[in-house]
Amino acid sequence: MSETATRSIGLGVATAFAALIGWLYARQPQTIAQVTGGLSAVVGAYAVDEQSFEDALRFFRNDQFVEARMAFDRADPAVRDARTQFYIAYSYYRQGWGRTYHDDRLYADGLTAIDRAMALAPAGRLVVDDPNLGMHTPEEVKAELLAGLRVDASDFNPLRVFRTRK
Amino acid sequence: MTAAREALVLPNVFLVVLLIGGLRIGRTITLIPPSPYVLLLGLLLIRVAVQSGVLSPDRLLASTRSTLANANGAVVLVTLWLAAAQALAVLIPDSGVPRLAFNVFFLILLLNTAAASPDRQRLLRSFAVTFGGAFVLKFVVLHGLSAPGQGAFKRALLALVDNVTAGALIQEVPHPIAAYAAFLTIGLFLIGLLLLPHREPPIRYELPPEYRLGR
Repeated sequence: MSETATRSIGLGVATAFAALIGWLYARQPQTIAQVTGGLSAVVGAYAVDEQSFEDALRFFRNDQFVEARMAFDRADPAVRDARTQFYIAYSYYRQGWGRTYHDDRLYADGLTAIDRAMALAPAGRLVVDDPNLGMHTPEEVKAELLAGLRVDASDFNPLRVFRTRK
Repeated sequence: MTAAREALVLPNVFLVVLLIGGLRIGRTITLIPPSPYVLLLGLLLIRVAVQSGVLSPDRLLASTRSTLANANGAVVLVTLWLAAAQALAVLIPDSGVPRLAFNVFFLILLLNTAAASPDRQRLLRSFAVTFGGAFVLKFVVLHGLSAPGQGAFKRALLALVDNVTAGALIQEVPHPIAAYAAFLTIGLFLIGLLLLPHREPPIRYELPPEYRLGR
């Protein structure tokens, strides 16, 4: 191999390796699935497992939220799909919702998930056309979760028991 | 130095050091970039390396070299800097008095080495000993003290140093694999230093006795 070819290949390999390291520092993946999924997403080759997603939706609609999240995690192991993260956040909202109280821990987890969904959405915009949902955008879900975590005068309004879960 | 070593081996060795050295394996895995302070120490380390002849920058960047060759040389220099910073960061404890002490120690060590101006061989030997010693202090002594349990070794060391450090000695114990990753990081970095294009020592000619003055 000529010296010029060796030097060109070396420059290319070093640049690619440096870019990979930069990406790893920025994304902080925790599992190999997140690494491979993230790299696939960079080249536009990442897709959720549709079968697992359908299973998760079925659980979600039956109010089996823990099972639904397990299936959503299986569908999106790299945590790269905005729609799946939206449903995960929604599952935390529905599970944590109560007529007289909200579960702050579940709402906080939901907030983390909805922030992920908003970060992953193309151009930051996501609309989920699901007639079974009362909220269709991450902004609505986030506002609802934030309101649930906030303590204010409306929390002491006895009429809140008539509110419905979205 | 061959083109393969300059373009392929050295940048990738230093990038591996940057990657593995940044791993912090605890309950979760995080990648920590080198802090501004260790980047400064990395610059000092390069300065010492140039001064001692471990690194000869004119063999990496020169007007007589082609643009591509200079680009390869620049990549080696940048990756060396980042790897040097990361190798030092691996050896510095994460918190408390030990972190402060190691930070000051490395700064003084590099300034002192620059003042002493050792040759290539002595500098490489000095780095191997210093990095090895710091590795033992952090991953054997400090983590031995911080690990749960009350062994005889731990009790003896705590009795020795507890008053000196005002109790701020205990570190968060990392995953056991962290020590192996650090060892690999330091080993690779030292190998990288050894492979750098170095300055040849000046050739000394010794005259035969019959040509010497006064004979």
